[in-house]
Amino acid sequence: MLLLQLLVNGLVTGCALGVVAFSFSLVYSTTKIFHVAHAGVYTLAGYLAWSLARAGMPDIVGLIVVPVVCAGFGVVIQRLLYDPLAQRRATHLVVLIASLGLLAIVQNAIAVLWSPDILHFDSTWRVQTIKLVGVTLNYAQIATVVVSVALYGATLFATRHTGIGKRIRAVASNPFLAELTRLHPRRTYAMVMALASALVAVPGMLVGFDLGLQPYTGTTVLLTGTVAVIAGGVGSLTGAFLVSIVVTVLQNLSLLVMPGQWSVGITFLIFVAFMLVRPRGLFAAA
Amino acid sequence: MDLLQIDGVAAGYGNKAVLSDLTLALRPGEVLALLGHNGAGKTTALRTIAGLLPARRGTVTLAGTRVEAMSVAQRQALGLRLLPEGRGIFPDLSVAENLDVVAAANCRGAGDLFGMADVFGLFPVLQERRGVRAGSMSGGQQQMLALSLAILGTPRCLMMDEPSIGLAPNIVARIFELVRDLCVKHAMGVLLVEQNVAAAMKIADRIVIMNNGEIVFAGRPDEARAANVWHYF
Ligand SMILES: Nc1ncnc2c1ncn2[C@@H]1O[C@H](COP(=O)(O)OP(=O)(O)O)[C@@H](O)[C@H]1O
Ligand SMILES: [Mg+2]
Repeated sequence: MLLLQLLVNGLVTGCALGVVAFSFSLVYSTTKIFHVAHAGVYTLAGYLAWSLARAGMPDIVGLIVVPVVCAGFGVVIQRLLYDPLAQRRATHLVVLIASLGLLAIVQNAIAVLWSPDILHFDSTWRVQTIKLVGVTLNYAQIATVVVSVALYGATLFATRHTGIGKRIRAVASNPFLAELTRLHPRRTYAMVMALASALVAVPGMLVGFDLGLQPYTGTTVLLTGTVAVIAGGVGSLTGAFLVSIVVTVLQNLSLLVMPGQWSVGITFLIFVAFMLVRPRGLFAAA
Repeated sequence: MDLLQIDGVAAGYGNKAVLSDLTLALRPGEVLALLGHNGAGKTTALRTIAGLLPARRGTVTLAGTRVEAMSVAQRQALGLRLLPEGRGIFPDLSVAENLDVVAAANCRGAGDLFGMADVFGLFPVLQERRGVRAGSMSGGQQQMLALSLAILGTPRCLMMDEPSIGLAPNIVARIFELVRDLCVKHAMGVLLVEQNVAAAMKIADRIVIMNNGEIVFAGRPDEARAANVWHYF
């Protein structure tokens, strides 16, 4: 049953990671910014939820309030960091370094303001479990799967069928024409940052409920997420989400034959294998 | 009154001056062809009028309003539109999505505006291909879509940068005929930049020829034919 348990654990972590990956992909394909500070928003969300819980709020309040706060943070990043850099015609490398700098600031601020050590939620999500065919799942894990799949479905639907979603895809497809047809690319970028930041806040909290919080874990999460974005085909939400799950499941199964220290190495091995088979990504557009 | 008036405009890139003193006027319902050899400064002129490039000197007046200090979007809100050279569609969206997204931002729903149904009436082929990814269509179909996007919401003043490039002559004729029609029906003014001099001369009411950023000829097509202007191309 260890095999099945590892498979299910991989599925749970993979779903959470999938949300990180497809929200990152949304930002990257629209703004062309390699927004590594996304990992900072992910981490911050868990800590904000932790503080709300400490203040006596039920977890559901955090789950609703924190994404809104993170959406605001995303807009602030866009307006105070990325927009001014774009106006000064900064190169992609400069923007990447600025984003890395912001990530470092957020992580260090969290370590100072909260704690550099692991923090756990007191909530019951972790201890309430159900057993299904020999596999044990706690409520946080179940919520992670259900909510992640729902967010993926909702985002996919929104980008295909709503006015804002079409506008986001239009700006991603041809920002020059978007400016000439009153689609307001700059406003659209801020909207995408708000949406992606709200999305990434959710796994930030759910994974925290299950495994606790550490200031620097977001970096590895984002690393695996970007691998999934590239291997899944840049611009494809489905590719990012599915490849996240596949990579994480394979990573977990590798624990059967290899010690855990190798898991990042395994991730890259899988990445290379993907890229050899489909160099432009699994779901790359024609 | 002139629809669009450009007075003593200077513009360029970095320390390269392309236009030094451009003066032009476009009347409602008129097609004005802006011609000249490659690098003459035609695209630069359109970019400056649209607001993509700042005017370093001079004034741009659209239907009585000074716009040279306005943003691209503000000028569009006043009815100015640019069909850019070769990049006039959203390639990753379907044909219908292209039209939807531009109509949502530019059509106000009033009866006299040019909407999706009118586009399909003009170009039935776009209706047939409405679900197809726009970037996968033929060049001619892409250009029909680009033109449709540019006229959604019926701009008062339409600027087109080499709309005929890469198109078969019968499609060029068709698109130009349509533009002519819109000018008549909606009193739209068109500033047409073309390399295809013969086709442009056929639909233009007036012709302006640029050379090295300066206007070297202005007059009717028949006057251009009579005058010896061919060495400018
Ligand atoms: N982005 C740019 N940066 C610098 N110079 C440019 C740029 N675009 C055009 N130019 C120069 O400006 C001049 C006019 O170009 P352009 O307006 O594109 O001419 P046309 O459209 O008539 O072919 C040319 O000498 C061209 O090399
Ligand atoms: Mg040009």
